[in-house]
Amino acid sequence: MSFWQSFLRNRGAVVGLAVLVAVLLLAVSAPFLFPFDPWDTRGAPLQPPGEGFRLGSDMLGRDVLAGIFHGARVSLFIGVVSTVFAVAIGVVVGAVAGYFGGIVDDVAMRFTEFFQTIPSFVLAVLLVAILTPGLASIVIAISVVTWPPVARLARSEFLALRHREFVEAAVLSGVSHIRIIFAEVLPNALTPIVIMASLMVATAILTESALSFLGLGDPNRISWGYMIGAARAVFRQAWWLSVFPGLAIFVTVLAINLVGEGLNDALNPHLRRRTSP
Amino acid sequence: MRILLFLGGWLVKAALILLAIVVLNFCLVRLAPGDVATVLAGESGAADPDFLARTRAEFGLDRPLPAQLATYVGNVLSLDLGVSYRTRRPVADMVLERLPATLLLTGAAFLFALVVGPALGVLAAVRARRVADSLITVAALVFYAMPIFWVGLLFILFFSVTLGWLPPFGMRSLIPPSGDLARTLDIARHLVLPALTLGLFYVAIYARLTRGAMLETAGLDYVKTARAKGLPEWRVVTAHILRNAMLPIITFAGLQAGHLVGGAIVAETVFAWPGIGRLAFDALLQRDYNLLLAVFLASAVAVVLFNFVTDLLLRLADPRIGAAGR
Amino acid sequence: MPAAGRSRRISEPATGLRPCRGGGSRGTIFAKREGYSRGKTDRGSGMSRIWKSIAFAAGMVLAAQPLAAQAPQKGGILNSTLWPEPPGIVIGVNINAPTLLPATKMFEGLMTYDFNLAPIPVLAESWQIAPDGLSYTFKLRQNVKWHDGKPFTAEDVVFSFNEFMPQVHSRSKPTFERVKTVALDPHTVKLELKEPYAPLIRSFDTLSAPIMPAHLYKGTDFRANPTNQAPVGTGPFKFKEWRKGEYIHLVRNDAYWQSGKPHLDAIYYRFIPDSASRALALETGQVQLAAQTDIEFVDVARLGKMPGLVVTTKGWEWNSTISWIELNNRRKPFDDPRFRRAVLHALDREFIRTNIFFGLAKVATGPLHSSSPFYDPNVPAYPFDLAKAAALLDEMGLKPDGSGVRARVKLLGLPYGELWNRLSEYIRQALGKVGIQVTLESSDVAGWGNRFANWDYDMTTSFLSMLADPALGVSRTYLTSNIRKGVLFTNTSGYSNAEVDELFAKAAVATDEAVRKQLYSRIQTVVAGEAPIAWLVEIQWPTIHSAKLRDAIINGFGPNDSFADAWLAK
Repeated sequence: MSFWQSFLRNRGAVVGLAVLVAVLLLAVSAPFLFPFDPWDTRGAPLQPPGEGFRLGSDMLGRDVLAGIFHGARVSLFIGVVSTVFAVAIGVVVGAVAGYFGGIVDDVAMRFTEFFQTIPSFVLAVLLVAILTPGLASIVIAISVVTWPPVARLARSEFLALRHREFVEAAVLSGVSHIRIIFAEVLPNALTPIVIMASLMVATAILTESALSFLGLGDPNRISWGYMIGAARAVFRQAWWLSVFPGLAIFVTVLAINLVGEGLNDALNPHLRRRTSP
Repeated sequence: MRILLFLGGWLVKAALILLAIVVLNFCLVRLAPGDVATVLAGESGAADPDFLARTRAEFGLDRPLPAQLATYVGNVLSLDLGVSYRTRRPVADMVLERLPATLLLTGAAFLFALVVGPALGVLAAVRARRVADSLITVAALVFYAMPIFWVGLLFILFFSVTLGWLPPFGMRSLIPPSGDLARTLDIARHLVLPALTLGLFYVAIYARLTRGAMLETAGLDYVKTARAKGLPEWRVVTAHILRNAMLPIITFAGLQAGHLVGGAIVAETVFAWPGIGRLAFDALLQRDYNLLLAVFLASAVAVVLFNFVTDLLLRLADPRIGAAGR
Repeated sequence: MPAAGRSRRISEPATGLRPCRGGGSRGTIFAKREGYSRGKTDRGSGMSRIWKSIAFAAGMVLAAQPLAAQAPQKGGILNSTLWPEPPGIVIGVNINAPTLLPATKMFEGLMTYDFNLAPIPVLAESWQIAPDGLSYTFKLRQNVKWHDGKPFTAEDVVFSFNEFMPQVHSRSKPTFERVKTVALDPHTVKLELKEPYAPLIRSFDTLSAPIMPAHLYKGTDFRANPTNQAPVGTGPFKFKEWRKGEYIHLVRNDAYWQSGKPHLDAIYYRFIPDSASRALALETGQVQLAAQTDIEFVDVARLGKMPGLVVTTKGWEWNSTISWIELNNRRKPFDDPRFRRAVLHALDREFIRTNIFFGLAKVATGPLHSSSPFYDPNVPAYPFDLAKAAALLDEMGLKPDGSGVRARVKLLGLPYGELWNRLSEYIRQALGKVGIQVTLESSDVAGWGNRFANWDYDMTTSFLSMLADPALGVSRTYLTSNIRKGVLFTNTSGYSNAEVDELFAKAAVATDEAVRKQLYSRIQTVVAGEAPIAWLVEIQWPTIHSAKLRDAIINGFGPNDSFADAWLAK
């Protein structure tokens, strides 16, 4: 059965993919459907959802719906970029550990374990606060705290693949280690890493929204977590300010999880236990 | 003997990790611009260089960094965590004061998850592919995808503001009732929503893990043998399937310790729960270094201890896990 | 008043429990320990409805008692919020805002000031100022005792003014360094100055110059003195207990010099970290007083509408807070007054007043606060006018580029809470409309303070108290001599105008009020014209208290007064 066939058999994955595409469309269409700045006052403050404001307005009269559309860009951007960085770091550390073994492996694993022991969210909060909140600092913080599981996975993959014949052959024929790692071994180890990465995007989005909620988000970019955090003072009177952005986060994360699991089931029925949450 | 080796090895590892955390934290916090003197000056609405210099000298902030680090590490080793810049109280006191609240919250959430999660997982596995299974699986997916703070806010909106059943904030009523039982009940009532909020995420995870693990073990030979021997179904489920399915759960629980502390910060913020998560956040905003370092250290210690416990449990549950480790 | 048909309690117990509110679109208020209020609009039998109407009418009658006509009742415990927990409760050693609330109940100054900032005698019975303004003679009150029983004498005043204030009180230091105090007899002191200083007469309140017990502090290290943990003052309330993390407990001083006062038995200052929890505590009657920043402004209006709660903005006349955007005059384009004026014209300060400060503010016109006796409203004005702003920028040569941007600047917002975040966001949008692209910079309090003091900003939002005299609170922002890098609340914008410096100097030493008024008018005109900073609003801090609390806000210090007169109606 081809990959697509087995993927599409999973109804959850299909639904997830559809939703994800919708969210992407949201992000892409934002500047067209809502050509104004989502931070602009568009009308009376604290209007419930209705005629004027489809999803209501916040305490400065800003359109919640516009915020949701524009916020999608930030969430997706941070989710994807920080995952890419985390995977890059994790793969490098894990590959080196698994490939070279011995002392290198020990050191790399102690290093990884150390990072796994530190309460990750606390470290992320510290990092963002110290680097002053902004898009860059959030991406850095999330990457720095989420790479360890990738490293472990990469390590075990590389450990397994290291002693295969094609690798031994390459070593014997004098190919440089770097080339072997990236050109020979990595492509074969990629599948479980990609699956893990797809699930990490969801976690990254959740982490970013939590950071923004606590007030550590980029003040120049509207994001879903930021909208909820800013509305805390009025959340009893204006429920729509907390409910809708949260719904957006939830739906996006759920969709990504479904897609990730669909990928998992389709690509790696045997590794299901290892990579599922 | 093996246990002693295991303990010894673990102690050394733990000590090194904690030391590294102390140094890391110290460096990170010092990297930030501004210090407690500027915070205190800002609150006073007046500041002169004397005031700033004096405050800094008082806390040894004017000494070179390596000297400060050396002093700090030395103090930590003798269990002196210093004094809070803001309140002038020993930091260890402040942390110990609020630690029980966080332990209560995370403990309750964790226990809730550990009991309800696998129970739902078992139910789902036993009724695989039927209605109950679908419902539970969907519910698990849903709660796994919800941000903790959003769940908390929704609970408050629903259970407190609309229905008025449960208190929306805090750990106790402002003027606590008299009598131990009444006081305990008061805290219990305040605990429900925060623990539920924090715990549902893990319920989802454990439910799915259990379900998956059980479905896998159910097909294994020794289970078929047990059934063939005529053992009642529930014994097969509990004695055989569940015991082995618990392994990945315990493994996973160990990994979750760090995550739980992070979740506690968010839950404590939403519910104004007086624990160390919120204390850390406030300390960060006020650049109260000593306090921040102490909280960080405390949570790291908790995580290390927790990992130790789960490691031990794993070894006890499955003696095969020795050299293979994690 | 709740609509008819809903249940309502008539007799309210001392804790101020509130009537149940029916469920509905606003939902129910979580409240009492006895049970939770739930929405049940009871359409019971006809008979019970009649009783309900009678009860309701009776309730209205009982509640409609005139507030001021009653005589003070003795007894009662007042619960107030206090946040954040202060680092200390001795004024001078700490002058943080949260220190002041409890400290002003235990300590007193020579006098206090009413709503118009006119002096009211406290520890000083009467005083005389020499015509040349070089000496002030105070007759001190007799029969005043410290909380530990020792008598209050001129020695205490001499010690406080000559030693204690100059050493620890960073705000009052410059004032008391001008003064030499001597005791003429155990109940008379004389203050001698080298040159006249008109603001001095407005510097004797508890917040600026509390009288400290010489017998406990003289010769000690003031900051490390153990008395700081259990303060001893002359005030109507004595220190009882400070349970860290929970509350500060003060009790009535039965030996207080005003006989028959104070009326309250005790005051608890409770630390509730979360603003929503504080609002809830107020609603449910668990605390009876919250002030200034304890409650989010957006909640204040809602709370004020509740029966049983009163909101007042009186009592901050001494404090006189103005909030503004500080523009770093050293950096382009802020060095050009036209740019600064354009910024002012681009801001709809009425919008800021209504939507960001939720009406708890007044639009500011210039460097002085409207409650100051020297305030002059006739200064260059900056109405909200985008066209004018654009014209000024055009004149400067700042034309819009391809994307409509004329200038790019950064705003370091004050990180004191949600209100300030909204303000920063609004400023960004408003200035964006005239082509000034603003990028917001995030910071925490320490970082903000650091950058602000070290001039590392383009624009920043801030607020400051103007205090009782322009020479005390206003001049510090505009004097060239007060440009001190690294120190907050000095002339951080870098504004420098020799004429203004001279005018301030003259006004500080002039003894004739009329002359001073003229000088300050001229200052306001010049400074408002040059707009070194963009004044936004005068913040009218709210004090929200239970309707049962009477005579709490009676002078220009509001909740920071001694509360000797405050009482709780039963």
